Amino acid sequence: MLLNYTSQRVAYPYFVIALLLFVLQVVVGIWLALSYAVTIPQWLVDILPFSTTRAIHTNLLVLWLLLGFMGTTYFMVPEEAEREIYSPFLAYLQLVLLVGVGVVALAGFVFGWTKGKPLLEIPFPLDYLVVVGALIFLFNVGMTILKARRWTVVQGSLFGGLVFLALMYLFNLPFYSNLSIDWYYWWWVIHLWVEGAWELIAAALTAWILIKITNVPRELVERWLYVELGLFLFTGIAGTGHHYYWLGAPRYWLWVGGIFSALEPLPILLMIWDAWHYIRNRRDGLKGRLVFTLAVGMSILHFVGAGFWGFLHTLPQINYYTHGSQVTVAHGHIAFFGAYVLLNVMFFYYAIPKLKGLAEFDERRGTLAFWCMSIAMALMTLAFSVAGVLQTYIERVMGLGYMTAQAQMRFWFAIVVVLGLTLLIGVVLTVVDLLTLRPAKAATVSP
Amino acid sequence: MTTKLARWIFVVGTLISLVLFLGLTVDTHRQVETLTNASQLSPQVIAGKRVWHKYNCNDCHTILGFGSYYAPDMTKVYWRRGAEGIKGVVRNPEKFTTWRKMPRQPVTDQELEDLVAFLKWTSEIDNQAWPPQDQKLRPATGRAVALGVSPGAVLFQEKGCFACHKIYETGGLLGPDLTHVGSRLDYQTIEKVLIDPRSVNPQGTMPPTQLSHDDLDELARFLANLK
Repeated sequence: MLLNYTSQRVAYPYFVIALLLFVLQVVVGIWLALSYAVTIPQWLVDILPFSTTRAIHTNLLVLWLLLGFMGTTYFMVPEEAEREIYSPFLAYLQLVLLVGVGVVALAGFVFGWTKGKPLLEIPFPLDYLVVVGALIFLFNVGMTILKARRWTVVQGSLFGGLVFLALMYLFNLPFYSNLSIDWYYWWWVIHLWVEGAWELIAAALTAWILIKITNVPRELVERWLYVELGLFLFTGIAGTGHHYYWLGAPRYWLWVGGIFSALEPLPILLMIWDAWHYIRNRRDGLKGRLVFTLAVGMSILHFVGAGFWGFLHTLPQINYYTHGSQVTVAHGHIAFFGAYVLLNVMFFYYAIPKLKGLAEFDERRGTLAFWCMSIAMALMTLAFSVAGVLQTYIERVMGLGYMTAQAQMRFWFAIVVVLGLTLLIGVVLTVVDLLTLRPAKAATVSP
Repeated sequence: MTTKLARWIFVVGTLISLVLFLGLTVDTHRQVETLTNASQLSPQVIAGKRVWHKYNCNDCHTILGFGSYYAPDMTKVYWRRGAEGIKGVVRNPEKFTTWRKMPRQPVTDQELEDLVAFLKWTSEIDNQAWPPQDQKLRPATGRAVALGVSPGAVLFQEKGCFACHKIYETGGLLGPDLTHVGSRLDYQTIEKVLIDPRSVNPQGTMPPTQLSHDDLDELARFLANLK
């Protein structure tokens, strides 16, 4: 038994469900790419339009990433707080509630039950049940930390990020009659999640894992964590302005959004730098390489996707032509994968062996799966980017019309389908591997 | 670096960004009323927005560039297709699409009228002239060029000036007849009237026009030439 606290076990069902939803998300994604590449017959479009499958693809993403974060939180908090979870029962109740809402919502989309707002389609009253689930979660985690009376920066950052996340979701609840105001607050949810709250969570989880696997002094990690959090929030909050260029808001957002979001790569660079630094100056020998590989891969793709691909089209002079094109799609895919998918996968590879009582496990399948997923996603990003540049030039610069541009982009979506299938192989391999981890062979165990 | 300094970087960095962001949010709320013509948000426009959500249009189309990228942007669709064009596509999508299909949906006639009102309102949002490809269709200039009519004349009609003013035998009686306005007032004075009517005639009842710099110039030139 490798667990220090038995209540850490509640994390496991979260992980399993998250992993299964991940597979489903990628399957639906391949269908979406196919819809761009070939003609779907009218009768099928009438029954199952692109809008429905797209809502399923994106909601699955949000659902499984959040379930992953919740599971990781339940795994990590007992060790940080040095006490059992306040109520394992509430943790299970919350899981049942959220998964139930998720299943009903996804089925509802197929029958046209939707709020009709991209990424936040979950309709009333299910959206309020999401809030109830989040409140149970925050209460349970908050009580655990409170009862322990042990303050750490890592824990504070994680909990702060989770509260921030839940708080921002509230801006999704009202109906806004003005379309511009509607989108203004939509970004309070979406942007302040992925470039605010989720970054706090990611920074905290990464810092915690690095402390655990490298045994570098906590004080050093927490000091840099403060700086990272400060930079994330300094650039990320006002950086929301890069979504306000063309929605009917005042012109000064071009300056505010441009300047602050141009700085957004800095905290991510700092994350890469200190991950490297800690790994090089580790005090423990390598206990298995895979978690290290994932930590480094995550930092690099986080920077490439969120930092570099985001920077490419964040300045208003460029964004005027690329806004709302496949360039955004390219950025979205690699950024979510690098920043949040690999973060979850890294944590799963850290936690699941412990939940299964394995001191060391055979890493070959997992390593292969990581490279398969990452290479497929990197190439897919390039294919989306080529499509995006074509669209930008043909539709926006030359003004030749939407479908003229789409016709030129079809080939690249066929490529995306192939890469999507490759990604799926990697994802299935990851999931199968995580659910059937085997002990390492004696010969491969490092001292 | 000490932990104390690191903590200060966190606190100060966060606060600066937060204060700036919230301050500008308050100001944006103030300005967005004008930029989006919020006074024109009639119950029908709002009903149209609900129709837009009901059929999940936004998970194929972008609007203001946000949403899904599977189908054309709807911000200025009213300029591209006009009311009847929009209705035609929604009623019979299969007649307007080729290799990428739009679903047939049970949209009622009332819903369709509301949707058009919403999209018309949306097309009038002042959003820094985005998207670039639709700017050539701006009603004030694009159509005028296409018809060979002066852009100022089109603006005069589209901004509703005929409701009060008469040119030749067309128009209302509330304001002065403008048939020969160019021989009474010069370009600069006309421009002043358009920006703030009371600066020229303090007793007047004409509301100030809210025109962009270019539109103002076009309209003033058109009127100054009516001699």
